[in-house]
Amino acid sequence: MTLGPSNSAICVQNTSQANHSTTPPRPTSLTIHPTALFSILDHYLRRTDRQHRVIGTLLGTRPTPSTVSVTHAFAVLHSETEEQVAVDMEYHRSMFEMFVRGRGDANKEQLSIVGWYATGGAEKQALQGLAQGQGQNGLGTYSALIQNFYEQETAPYPAVHVALDTGTEEGVGAGVRAYVSSPVGVTQKAENCVFVPIPCELCFHDTERAGLDLLLSSSSSPNGTATPTTPLSNLHDALVSTSSALSRVLAYVQAVLRGTVEPDPALGRYLWSVLGTVPDEEGGWATSLQDTLMVSYLANLVRGEAEVAARLALAGST
Amino acid sequence: MSAPSMAAALAASLPAPAAAATPAAPTYEAIPPSMSTAIDVEAEIPLTCVQLDALVVSKIIQHSQDSPSGSAHGLLLGLDLEGTLEVSNSFPLPNHTNDDDEKVSKSLARYQTSMLRSLREVQGDDNVVGFYQATSLGAFYSQSLIDTQAIHQERLRHGGVVIVHDVSQTARGTASFRAFKLTPSFIDVYKKSNFSASSLVHHRLTFSSILEEVPLRIRTNPLLSSFLNVLAAPSSASPYTSAHLGSPATSAIPPSYSALDLGNSGLARNLEQVAEGIDNYRTEEGNVAYASRQIAREKLRLETHLAKRREENAQRVSQGLNPLPEEDVSRMFKIPPDPSRLDSLLLLGQLDAYAKTLESAAGLGLAKMYAARAGHTT
Repeated sequence: MTLGPSNSAICVQNTSQANHSTTPPRPTSLTIHPTALFSILDHYLRRTDRQHRVIGTLLGTRPTPSTVSVTHAFAVLHSETEEQVAVDMEYHRSMFEMFVRGRGDANKEQLSIVGWYATGGAEKQALQGLAQGQGQNGLGTYSALIQNFYEQETAPYPAVHVALDTGTEEGVGAGVRAYVSSPVGVTQKAENCVFVPIPCELCFHDTERAGLDLLLSSSSSPNGTATPTTPLSNLHDALVSTSSALSRVLAYVQAVLRGTVEPDPALGRYLWSVLGTVPDEEGGWATSLQDTLMVSYLANLVRGEAEVAARLALAGST
Repeated sequence: MSAPSMAAALAASLPAPAAAATPAAPTYEAIPPSMSTAIDVEAEIPLTCVQLDALVVSKIIQHSQDSPSGSAHGLLLGLDLEGTLEVSNSFPLPNHTNDDDEKVSKSLARYQTSMLRSLREVQGDDNVVGFYQATSLGAFYSQSLIDTQAIHQERLRHGGVVIVHDVSQTARGTASFRAFKLTPSFIDVYKKSNFSASSLVHHRLTFSSILEEVPLRIRTNPLLSSFLNVLAAPSSASPYTSAHLGSPATSAIPPSYSALDLGNSGLARNLEQVAEGIDNYRTEEGNVAYASRQIAREKLRLETHLAKRREENAQRVSQGLNPLPEEDVSRMFKIPPDPSRLDSLLLLGQLDAYAKTLESAAGLGLAKMYAARAGHTT
């Protein structure tokens, strides 16, 4: 479930770092919630004419010391010219405080700043005569400086950087890449660091799946809109897709039986185990049916009574 | 000596500004008819549809997921255009569980304004158009929701909307979003805060006419659409392709079959809620009955006293004395006001919503059971 184009780079992990007990280990993987992605895309849409890319702060949690889970993102004001880069730190701080407040104190796991994001778009770098390949990675000259700033914010944990390709530039597909930074050079300087890619996955709760389905259905419709579905139509869709999947399996099995397709033992075993799990509930079925019918009857009765009660309250007073 | 003359010379050299400024009374150009639907200063075009941005959908679901059931609420930001209310952003509001009311509401207001200011700084919409509320099992009739919406309906352009998101439905595989407004007749009653039975009769108000639903649709902007489609597209570099089955399977968003889940674990909880709702309603009904009995008793006592006084007066008149006034008798008794029916109205609405959810869940369960049986026997 990795996002973005496959990377041929070797993920170099700084294992010697983990041995120091004082500094927490560098994250080795990153999961990102769809809401964070959508916030970044929305921010990119709302950029001004002068901005060629937008940056912002990533909030999230650290389920284990070596993984980072990004759940929220918010935009940060910044300006980048050829000479200098400025990030509105005050804005960033107050926005973070508001995010923590808005979530309320009911949550046990605290949100914390885990890193920063930037959208792709590196025409400035190309103009400056840097190599094209460097620009395409969405990492500009100032990325190291901003990374250094966020390292201070996330201390003692190292900051992660998420580069999001919006897919609006030629030759660069949409995708998400994640990096951690590693100091490089003879002397440690803020602007010297190497960005090491780490694997990045989309992660959401099972119950949030339905919302994503709704968005997918609206994104595939021609004008980009959709109305919320009813449970029954949802069930219908699921049944249709199950039925088509079954017929695909059937076609494959028949092809194997006829000998036109080379049988694949792994696939066969998988199908065997899946189809073997059909529950045997012949006896329970009738009772379950009675229960459901009873519940349905009861629900209708309650609704009718409620309606009558509402009318009677009005009629009694006149 | 030379200074005033210099000023005079300067003034003379200038092309009489005062004369030019006077006829500059503002002349407004008439709004061209092609734009008249887009420019709607007085909010005259009624709302016909609410359009939720994908970002808002995702934010609301995440917030509802994160917070304990039914307590997530927040503000909606956006604009209205040609009768469509476009909701483009939202942010959560903290739960006010603390008891210090004034302090909480003040800090809440501060939080709201600073959040809005911050969003404006990054070119976000900062126009509040309503609020959202997460509920469970379809029951959203609550005093606080009605109160908040009543305040909004007075202050906001178009009165604002409330988006209700049902957490339990979403967990079952159907993302449920509905938009509501208070009906005019309910607002009328609410403003007078007169929820006596006669006022309800006069406005023909039952629980089903407290809120009116506004059609709602979801929109994803083209950038997000393309991004989502890339995510959902099967990735070519999956380690184990089931190419034999006709299509590769893995993508960042795999297809889900949660709608086919046979378990009806939610039914028991739903039934409990219905039973609880009935109990609550019976308690409230008892309260109302007690109050009406109280009123009847007071009225009876007043009547007897009045009758006594009249008898007395008749006697006095026959004896040639002035009759005593009847007003001070009625002043002796304070008849309590008619009991408010708002609570029982809301409880009935709650009960109806629970039962409706139960009904649809049972119906769906039936369909699934027959489907499973068909799958089993064949």
